[in-house]
Amino acid sequence: MAEFRLPANSRIRTGVTHEAPPGAREVRKLRIYRFDPSSGQNPRLDTFELDVADCGPMVLDALIRIKASVDSSLTFRRSCREGICGSCAMNIDGVNRLACTTSLHDLGREIRIYPLPHMPVVKDLVADLTQFYAQYASVKPWLQAQTPPPPDSERLQSKEEQERIDRPAACILCACCSTACPSYWWNSDRYLGPAALLAAYRWIIDSRDEASGERLDALEDPFKLYRCHTIMNCTDVCPKDLNPAKAIAEIKKMLVQRQS
Amino acid sequence: MSLRSPLGEALGHGAAKDGVHHWRVQRLTAVALLPLASWFAVSLLAMPAHGYAAVAAWVGEPWTAVLLLLFVVTAAWHSQLGVRVVIEDYVHGRAMRTVLLALSGYLHVLAAAAGVFAVLRVALGGAA
Repeated sequence: MAEFRLPANSRIRTGVTHEAPPGAREVRKLRIYRFDPSSGQNPRLDTFELDVADCGPMVLDALIRIKASVDSSLTFRRSCREGICGSCAMNIDGVNRLACTTSLHDLGREIRIYPLPHMPVVKDLVADLTQFYAQYASVKPWLQAQTPPPPDSERLQSKEEQERIDRPAACILCACCSTACPSYWWNSDRYLGPAALLAAYRWIIDSRDEASGERLDALEDPFKLYRCHTIMNCTDVCPKDLNPAKAIAEIKKMLVQRQS
Repeated sequence: MSLRSPLGEALGHGAAKDGVHHWRVQRLTAVALLPLASWFAVSLLAMPAHGYAAVAAWVGEPWTAVLLLLFVVTAAWHSQLGVRVVIEDYVHGRAMRTVLLALSGYLHVLAAAAGVFAVLRVALGGAA
């Protein structure tokens, strides 16, 4: 059955509070999910009082500040700090987003930070995305064509053909969408999720690809594709303003249209 | 513990080549139910009296009986498709899911058969 309550060893306890340094000008409370698998203890919610006047403008800046000067054991993924690598996706104030593109000034005095929902946690804010990446790989996200490429040039596309895949191809695989989807929460063992389906769509409509039929065949399944019930959390949270919900609807349309 | 590769897990048993029919019929029955359900509600509200004789006379009209039969069958069909999705979403034990899906199918056929029989019996004057 679907799980509506966390297992006993996953329930969150109150953690420690790190008070603001004396003379702090603009204090914000960051309540951050902490979990250390080697400790054998339940996860806890630590409170960090941070002087944001003495810190960069984004949530990621605050996390880096905490790690540098308050608690060096705080664990999170980050790399580009400009919204293109997708590493720092996490649940900030109940919404999946990138810490590096979320401004502290758009949030309240108290900010709650958790790892991406309903995924195994490796440590603190780092979710285990192994299954997510495997699902992405399962849609064969690469060009498949029988026609050999021209000997003296690349495979060409018209401007319009490129524009069709321009947005879907901008996905950074941050997993904000899939981990915001209730269908993915309940059935991620069989439902591919919005990110993998958006990638499948991107290749189905690619004018250079010749495996659209096989790609549609591989998705024609009550669980892989049709667990999408048009909830549209995916489109709501996408930090790149992409539309996985529409891509999934288009795939369903193509499956119907090729029958009549 | 499983040592199967993550890609092996993701690929699973492949695609069941099913789902398009469910999706199409779910939408077709939904579209059909829009006028049928509206007609049913409006007709009931517009009836001057709701006694047995008045309703039986209304059901006895040919078009009323035909539309009622369509309404009963379409509603049961649409409901069966919806309940199926709910069971598939939330019931994860394979045995339990199989049993519930079968049970839901039987109950919907039973409901449709009872509805059709009731309409026919009243419409064709079997029950006075």
